[in-house]
Amino acid sequence: MPKYNKYVKIGPPSPAAMTAMNDAMIKVAQKNDKVVAVLSDMGFPAIGWFKENAPERIIECGIAEANAAVVAAGLAAEGFVPFLNSFVFAAIGRAYNSIRQSILVDRFNVKIFGREGAWGETGISHNHVEGIGMTRVMPNLVILNPADAVESAKAIIAMADYIGPVFYRQEMSPPMMSIFTEDYPFDIGKAYAIKDGKDATIIATGYMVTEAIRAIDLLEKDGLDVGIINMSTLKPLDEEAIIKAAEETGAIVTAENGSIIGGLGEGVAAVLAENMPASLVRVGIEDEFSQSGQITPERDDLKIHFALGAEDLAVSVKECIAKRDSLKSRKRSR
Amino acid sequence: MAHDDKLIQELEKKANIVRHNIFRIFDSSQGGHCGGTMSIVEIVTALYFHHLKLQYGNPDWPERDRVVLSKAHCCEAIYAVLPEIGYVPSEALDTYYCYRSPFQGHADRWCTPGIDYSGGSLGQGLSFAVGMAIAEKIKTAMNPPPTPFPQFLPRFLVKYNPMYRVYCIVGDGECNEGQIWEAIMCAAKYKLDNLIAIIDYNKFSLDGPTEEIMPLAPLDEKFKAFGWWVKEIDGHNLRELVDALDLASNLYGDGKPKCLIAHTVKGHGIPLWEQEHTHLARGEGIARGVKEGRERYAKV
Repeated sequence: MPKYNKYVKIGPPSPAAMTAMNDAMIKVAQKNDKVVAVLSDMGFPAIGWFKENAPERIIECGIAEANAAVVAAGLAAEGFVPFLNSFVFAAIGRAYNSIRQSILVDRFNVKIFGREGAWGETGISHNHVEGIGMTRVMPNLVILNPADAVESAKAIIAMADYIGPVFYRQEMSPPMMSIFTEDYPFDIGKAYAIKDGKDATIIATGYMVTEAIRAIDLLEKDGLDVGIINMSTLKPLDEEAIIKAAEETGAIVTAENGSIIGGLGEGVAAVLAENMPASLVRVGIEDEFSQSGQITPERDDLKIHFALGAEDLAVSVKECIAKRDSLKSRKRSR
Repeated sequence: MAHDDKLIQELEKKANIVRHNIFRIFDSSQGGHCGGTMSIVEIVTALYFHHLKLQYGNPDWPERDRVVLSKAHCCEAIYAVLPEIGYVPSEALDTYYCYRSPFQGHADRWCTPGIDYSGGSLGQGLSFAVGMAIAEKIKTAMNPPPTPFPQFLPRFLVKYNPMYRVYCIVGDGECNEGQIWEAIMCAAKYKLDNLIAIIDYNKFSLDGPTEEIMPLAPLDEKFKAFGWWVKEIDGHNLRELVDALDLASNLYGDGKPKCLIAHTVKGHGIPLWEQEHTHLARGEGIARGVKEGRERYAKV
């Protein structure tokens, strides 16, 4: 069994993240009566609570995401804390310019839940994979992408307390493992090392932390000690954690449930290139769209299609270690 | 409700001050969105010098009426007013377009006291105004105003006012944007009688006449069909403007958002800009227009 750090207790995969989101949203809404739900006909976590307890705090804008984003900005200008919820292709993609002009320019305190990821039955439109890259270039925006139910709940409470715009990326993926204990300290902008390693480090975000945990089991059998960093804040990236990992292992594999162009991998690559060059392999979705795929206990076509499973991740880690070692020997021979 | 002539004459004088401040802005920047700016001079004059609830020199007063300039490229007209109501020093007029100036190229809430909305990307201001107006409704619902004295009067006889009203100046060209109509639907749904949109219907956008670019007529019927209260006025007639603004705000309580369609002339008052329907001018085009304006309007 790999030795995990404090606050980590691995449990089996479960769909608990969704209920955790719901409960956290209720807590947030109870604590602060300025929290309002701005809907664009795509549901909302804890909508039942709002309907029962504070119907005046539901603003339903219909299928008009750009309008919903700017209405939320107007509410935030008057001291409210609006939460938006939709798929990323609509909440961010459709409303991109409205978010930029009306929310981010003035750093209005608007929170956006966006669902996206490679997996899903809904096909190319809804299985959006460009969200991280699309939002990482936006100034003034914080991006959160939690890895399990405990972290989801803590992220929602933290984003409600934080003053400024936040994009909470809610992943469409197979169920996540339960990873953290209840006393896990979540901090916006802080990555957490789930496990330390000597041979290589996987920097993963969201669902891919689950695959990384499976991958280190496989790698341990091959005698490799690989660490995992949970990068749950995608912006601002925890540069110190990345540099420290590069110093310690010199072999970094990034893993994300999204496009590697503009995503976590590119962010990490930039930090490494500028501060501590190291061997790097980016795991994620190459330059392509997703498609429909069902997840059953027997098979997961999209995991195979995009090579996002633990086995693929283990291969990438070995490739990364080999790259590092060949670089070292080349330096020596010079 | 008729206003006396003295008030209108006062406002005429104020409009001239605004024009001269705009000329001063153009003097220093040697460029600007002159056409759309000159077409809303009377609108901003009627708003800021007669109609709006505001405190001199206090742009952060929570109960002030909000002004959302959706056509934020015409911020010169608002900038020209701000020194007159004590929000910014008049020296700022000479810094338009400059680095770190309070007068940015497009209206910017972060940089300018008294600007409620950072715009520039057209078609979004009305949504923002809707958000602000909904906020007023929620705040009032959470903390209802105390029953006014005398308490024995039936409720329908008591005149209520919102905590603040939201005014949104919308260009006619930006009504091509789909989001404007999303906001119009949303305002009607939430019965935002505390929201007054003023359409600067100057009938020209950058590429040419709005009826050629994308026909808007009949704008009044469209707004009515969406559930708004609509009144068409001459946007350069101060008497019509103040009457219509007062009427629209006195109708508070009817559950309808208000729209004033102000028929205006692009580049109004400046023959050069009127003839050429100038959207944006620089250098010679600005200098000649400003010269014509100074000759035409007496300095106050």
